[in-house]
Amino acid sequence: MLPTGRSILRDAVSGQRRLLARAAFLGSVHQGGEALVPVIVGLVIDQAVSTGSVGALLRWIVVLAVVFGALSMSYRFAARAAERASEQAAHGLRMRLAQRVLDPRGGAEAGRLPGALVNIATGDAKRVGVVNTVLPFAVAGFVGLLVSAVSLLRISVPLGLLVLLGTPPLLWLTHLVGKPLERRSSVEQERAAHASGVAADLVSGLRVLKGIGAEAAAVARYRRTSQDSLAATLRAARAHAGHDGAILALTGIFIAVVALVGAHLAANGSITVGELVAAVGLAQFLLGPFQIFAWVNGQLAQGRASAERVASVLAAPPAVTSGSGAPSGNCPGRLSLRGVTHGSLDSLDLDVEPGELLGVVAPDPAAASHLLDCLGREADPAAGTVELDGVAYTELDPHELRGAVLVAAHDADLFDGSLLDNVVTAGRDVDRALTASAADEVARTLPEGVHTLVAERGRSLSGGQRQRVALARALAADPPVLVVHDPTTAVDAVTEARIAGELREIRQGRTTVLVTTSPALLAVTDRVVVLDGGAVGAQGTHAELVHANPGYRSAVLS
Amino acid sequence: MSDRELLPTATGRRTAAAVGELLRPRRLLAFSAFGVLTAATGVGLLTAPLLGHIVDLVDEGSTDFTVPVVLLVVVALARGAGNAWGLALVSRLGESMLASLRERFIERALSQPLERVELAGSGDLTSRVTNDVAVIAKSVREALPELGRSALTIVLTLGGLALLDWRFLLAALLAAPIQLYTVRWYVRRAIPLYAHQRVRDGAQQQQLLDTVGGARTVRAFRLTDEHVERVRGRSQTVVDVTMRAVRLMTRFFSRLNLAEFVGLSAILVAGFVLVGNGTATIGTATAAALYFHSLFNPINAALALVDDAQSAAASLARLVGVADLPTEREPEQAGVPVDASVKAAAVSHAYVTGHDVLRDVDLDIAPEERVALVGASGAGKTTLAKLIAGIHRPTSGSLALGGVALDDLGHAGTRRTVALISQEVHVFAGTLAEDLRLAKPDATDEELRAALAKVGALPWVDALPDGLSTMVGEGAHRLTVTQSQQLALVRLVLADPPIAILDEATAEAGSAGAKVLEKAAAKALEGRTGLVVAHRLTQAAAADRIVVLDAGKVVETGTHDDLVAANGRYAALWAAWSDQRTR
Repeated sequence: MLPTGRSILRDAVSGQRRLLARAAFLGSVHQGGEALVPVIVGLVIDQAVSTGSVGALLRWIVVLAVVFGALSMSYRFAARAAERASEQAAHGLRMRLAQRVLDPRGGAEAGRLPGALVNIATGDAKRVGVVNTVLPFAVAGFVGLLVSAVSLLRISVPLGLLVLLGTPPLLWLTHLVGKPLERRSSVEQERAAHASGVAADLVSGLRVLKGIGAEAAAVARYRRTSQDSLAATLRAARAHAGHDGAILALTGIFIAVVALVGAHLAANGSITVGELVAAVGLAQFLLGPFQIFAWVNGQLAQGRASAERVASVLAAPPAVTSGSGAPSGNCPGRLSLRGVTHGSLDSLDLDVEPGELLGVVAPDPAAASHLLDCLGREADPAAGTVELDGVAYTELDPHELRGAVLVAAHDADLFDGSLLDNVVTAGRDVDRALTASAADEVARTLPEGVHTLVAERGRSLSGGQRQRVALARALAADPPVLVVHDPTTAVDAVTEARIAGELREIRQGRTTVLVTTSPALLAVTDRVVVLDGGAVGAQGTHAELVHANPGYRSAVLS
Repeated sequence: MSDRELLPTATGRRTAAAVGELLRPRRLLAFSAFGVLTAATGVGLLTAPLLGHIVDLVDEGSTDFTVPVVLLVVVALARGAGNAWGLALVSRLGESMLASLRERFIERALSQPLERVELAGSGDLTSRVTNDVAVIAKSVREALPELGRSALTIVLTLGGLALLDWRFLLAALLAAPIQLYTVRWYVRRAIPLYAHQRVRDGAQQQQLLDTVGGARTVRAFRLTDEHVERVRGRSQTVVDVTMRAVRLMTRFFSRLNLAEFVGLSAILVAGFVLVGNGTATIGTATAAALYFHSLFNPINAALALVDDAQSAAASLARLVGVADLPTEREPEQAGVPVDASVKAAAVSHAYVTGHDVLRDVDLDIAPEERVALVGASGAGKTTLAKLIAGIHRPTSGSLALGGVALDDLGHAGTRRTVALISQEVHVFAGTLAEDLRLAKPDATDEELRAALAKVGALPWVDALPDGLSTMVGEGAHRLTVTQSQQLALVRLVLADPPIAILDEATAEAGSAGAKVLEKAAAKALEGRTGLVVAHRLTQAAAADRIVVLDAGKVVETGTHDDLVAANGRYAALWAAWSDQRTR
């Protein structure tokens, strides 16, 4: 069954029910304790201070100590249990999301930027988890409410009813005052956040700014943004301050009303002075649970919205179907495409012989990436079949297939770790691969050679360095069929020529497809196929095509 | 990164002085904010004695409570209004100080020599401008008003207690040693722990970006299990560290509960004694107890903010450190270039002493000549480009643009004379027009369109949802790498320097994009002296002259035809491209 926002939320809560029950129980003890403090203060005034009884004083101080001890310890362990429940639920969701995104059948990334997916795995997972923090507090707040209601009603029914019935309308009133202010404030705050975004953006484009001498223009632009943002922040702050002030004023008036009624009741003897003190204290305390309810409500709404976002990733349809077969152990590596129609590919027929080094020239970049999608099974073609050694792709488990056919994308990402860690990944003959891709030269220029850490997904390396390390990784994996896309676009011509020769050498006897327009690479291939209008146009050796085909010449040599 | 030389951090004294400098022009605002908040808090404190007075009236058998109750209402209204006003003033003070500081920070940061920023690693500057500014902004927005209000409440309440009877104050202060000890205990543990937590959060974020952003690569290389485990490891660490922080925080509050109990009991005992010997009324004792009870929240709030305040101070020191950096010095009498020539004489350069990247390079480029630099990675192409652009200063030798030595040209003069378009692609967030106007702030829409048309970018810009007004950059419309790089060339056309240096096309553009960019670059260089670091030999072939660098030395120079005929290194490379040989 596909996950929905509701089921995500339900799982997050029920998965932690033991911790939640503990937190709710202990939290209730804490709230009850907090409610009892003003009651005890009232009792001390009544039974000790006004009577002068030392015994009563000591007795009630001991009671106060016990209450404090209980409320303190219960809060401590309630908060821990609730936070643990929240963190564990978030962790569980993060793992489910990571597993879904990495599922061999793919599909979870469709239409989402990596940054957005990461936000779902961190921010949204956390907000769903936070539901577990707030639920026990909601229960505890309710218990606190109950305790103070009982205390109040025991002191005096009319006074109790006044406080209990007066509090909700009071809070509703503050909510009413606050709502438009809060709404305005969140809009303004978003605008305020903009300034910091612009600053970070300018700093990360520092080299570009310096290159064209645009520093002064950038500073002027930032100053404007900063001032706009300041104005927005101040509007938000004023709204917020107004809201706070209104709440203070309203609660103050409420206390005055309670005091007035309580004083009359005390004057005509229905309640004692101590009970009046306790009632005023309880009226103040009662605002707490009600505020908790408002907070819980807000968090739940956020949690629900986040759960929807999490569910939309988990429920994303896979990009390809999964077969159950695996390619044979010693796979010869013959690829055949029959009538493949996908994106800009139109009934493409293409055969790659075992052990062949084939060049594919796609003047239309879209055609190249669509071909790669089909060969790497990131997508199934709308029509036609792709076969590996006579077995249709669709009959194979995508994970198993990728063990035999490795598609090294043009923008291949490197991962956190040393240069060597990245290449070793699936690797056998790592040294040979490093040499063949000229990544050994890269290592020589780095402070710690192959053990230098590759930071920020390889962004700490230059484009050409990154490409060579990525190529080394693909070569080290030594798959029966290797498909490489534009591996040397950022590599200088001298090195590219060297790589071309090495590439042919290291892939000797194994099937290799080079999707590129680089003449240096095409020159070492056995055969070159030119894609034209989504199907095979001209083909032949690089030399033949350079001589005989003006279109080819202009595609690769101009 | 031990070899990184981070940007400076201000000392505590300098940070305080910088805050003072920001505060000085806003003295009046600061005094009125403080005054209004004090008045509002003071008024609020009348609540407890008024309630105490009501208790006394009841005790005396009176039934008329109109005056104290009306006063209670007046107090509530005055307190609410005063608080709102005071908080608004405090925000204005803090926010405008922060705005001044961040503006000066950006001004200084952008004017630093690139060399200096690169030495520190660009992450240093970025983290200051994002994380540190955010930490301070959060403090200014949330902690500062809260702290101010709580502190005032505490001080004035204690004053109020003293007014009731000095012995109540003494009783209340019994809680203070516990609180002080607890705060010291807490801060000592909390600061490193929270710093650790932030590092762990960052590591988790980085791992997720790695794994999710590289999902396709992970699948292709069948690294799924490994990456799931990596994510699990990082995520579990975050859970563990967070729980350590929660445990610390709950222990902190437990200790504060103890302080509350001690203070409250002491006040009750004091009330008992004072009422017993007739020095205080029951109402006074009630007021004292209520006072202290109402201090629970402000005290806890203020003490819990201590670590916020500490981290804000640390961030502030990092901002002030950069904002205090000197700007680049300009020569007193800046030279004026006479033409668009470039002359490098016996230029050598070493980033690390003893490891020359360039050796005795002589290069003369005539005005409007187009020269291509060819060579393997590490041959020194980029270094030469950066030296000519004035980004680095050569270790030895001399460089002149238009007959004026770089030193005499000054930084501003150099920027006007030469532009460097590097392989770094950055599209500035905002509208496309705003991005382009960074190069020429007063450019009209027509000028922008003409520049776009020149490099062949106008067709796709017109096809954007809002044309020139389309929001681009981070979080908005995403341009392709080729388009982004084209924009860099449009900026070059707008900035219109006589000399331009183009360093490597990007890896991501792909071969089809490379061709588009080559055409665009040729158009953008029209009428300029151009030095192009050529990746594709076709780009070199189209230049007036080719310079081949190897291991920091110029090994060949001449036109394409000359060099092909000379049968040297360049000829061998060219053969590999166009060649009929199949091996």
